[in-house]
Amino acid sequence: MKLTLAEHGGLAAGLRLGRAPLVVDLSTLPDAEVRQLTDLLSAARADPAPSGSARTAPDAMSYTVTVEDGGSQEVLRGTDTTMSRAFAELLDRLRRLAVRGR
Amino acid sequence: MTRHLNCIVPPHILDRLAESSDAAVREAARQTLLTTARLRGQREVRAGLLGVSAPTNGRRSVFDCRNSTRLSDAVLVRTEQGHASSDRSVNAAFDGLGATRQFYLEVLSRNSIDDRGMRLDGYVHRGLRYNNAFWDGQEMVFGDGDGVIFTDFTGSLDVIGHELTHGVTEYTAGLEYHNQSGALNESISDCMGSLVKQWTLKQTAEQADWLIGPEVFTPGIEADALRSLKNPGHAYDNDTFGKDPQPAHMDDYVDLPDTDEGDNGGVHINSGIPNHAFYLAAVAIGGYAWEVAGRIWYQSLRASTPTTDFAAFAATTISKAAELYGVGGSQQTAVREAWEQVGVGTTAARGGAKQAAAVIPPPREELVRQFDELTAQVNRLRSELLSS
Repeated sequence: MKLTLAEHGGLAAGLRLGRAPLVVDLSTLPDAEVRQLTDLLSAARADPAPSGSARTAPDAMSYTVTVEDGGSQEVLRGTDTTMSRAFAELLDRLRRLAVRGR
Repeated sequence: MTRHLNCIVPPHILDRLAESSDAAVREAARQTLLTTARLRGQREVRAGLLGVSAPTNGRRSVFDCRNSTRLSDAVLVRTEQGHASSDRSVNAAFDGLGATRQFYLEVLSRNSIDDRGMRLDGYVHRGLRYNNAFWDGQEMVFGDGDGVIFTDFTGSLDVIGHELTHGVTEYTAGLEYHNQSGALNESISDCMGSLVKQWTLKQTAEQADWLIGPEVFTPGIEADALRSLKNPGHAYDNDTFGKDPQPAHMDDYVDLPDTDEGDNGGVHINSGIPNHAFYLAAVAIGGYAWEVAGRIWYQSLRASTPTTDFAAFAATTISKAAELYGVGGSQQTAVREAWEQVGVGTTAARGGAKQAAAVIPPPREELVRQFDELTAQVNRLRSELLSS
């Protein structure tokens, strides 16, 4: 499984524009880390942001987490003003684990 | 017209509840105050309006999110009359809100964000390693940064001025946050954010650094700032970020899609063009930038509409310069030449005066239903509060 985090907007949007997304390849992680990450992913799936929650506040950020597993792909979205606690925890963990994608 | 309305919950109780340290109680009281204001036939107010019974004059409150992303989890840690905190971020946010408030009041005669004394609430320590700060329409939210690239966002006065100015824009022109109107929205925030810093430091246009967010990076990052009004495109150039993508001239306008991925048509990118026009005008005029250029830009913002583009705004600034300082004066000449230097042609501002937004209140029956519902909620919360 591979998780890709793309961040958009924010006060420093110019810095983020065109930057490669952050990538986490679970096959490179220890088992315990994989379990924690999949638990966070399940929690985020179970507590999605309200539908149609586009980024409405200037300089608030939006996030896209793409989950690729085998041949399937799933996308989770969130914004600074609407994200769930579970989504926030998933973002934080991904940032700490990720390497910049190529 | 003012209607007489007997409230189940007296306004003074609602005012007290609106100060509660419990976020749920506070929010319920705010909504009730908002609804009562509408029922009394007062003109439409924003959700952030509090203290209907008395002006708040930009009274400040700072809340600690304690690393949660939910503002309802935050606790009140500093009030307008309260003592300084032992938390540096709390005090920096408090001071920055105050400096911005005073700038708008003393320089532009504007009473807080909405020109009606809107409260200024700041929420610090939002989330974990959060690399951002933003105004959400009611309050300002600050991240601590990841400590690798970014540091505490409360440490940058121009960032605070920038974000609060988004609120001012919301209450004036309402510039739509995409494409050219969005880039203008961003530019106005950068210009005013820079002026808040210059005014606080009493710097002339020549002395100012004209940088946005130089303090937000950690010491190891080689970057001057997030953006430069003096030199768009030169705020940074390193392996981590690449090169600053801001243009300084319309010839280099960046066409980006109106999507999240495209920065809503490049609002943070193409803002470099009007930013540079403001810098050029301010330096050409000389002295303190807030005294002339700042006033011209602020009055032009007030005269603009949600879809004002670069050319229309430029025309408005030239017109306002004449209105404020005389036709053909050095001020007007400086403004016109500034726009010419960045390649923005001017169009006659069509209907340059801002049209009053149509206010269409919901049916009275719906307002009464909402009020009854909220009053019942506040009464329940009040009972819980008193019994705890």
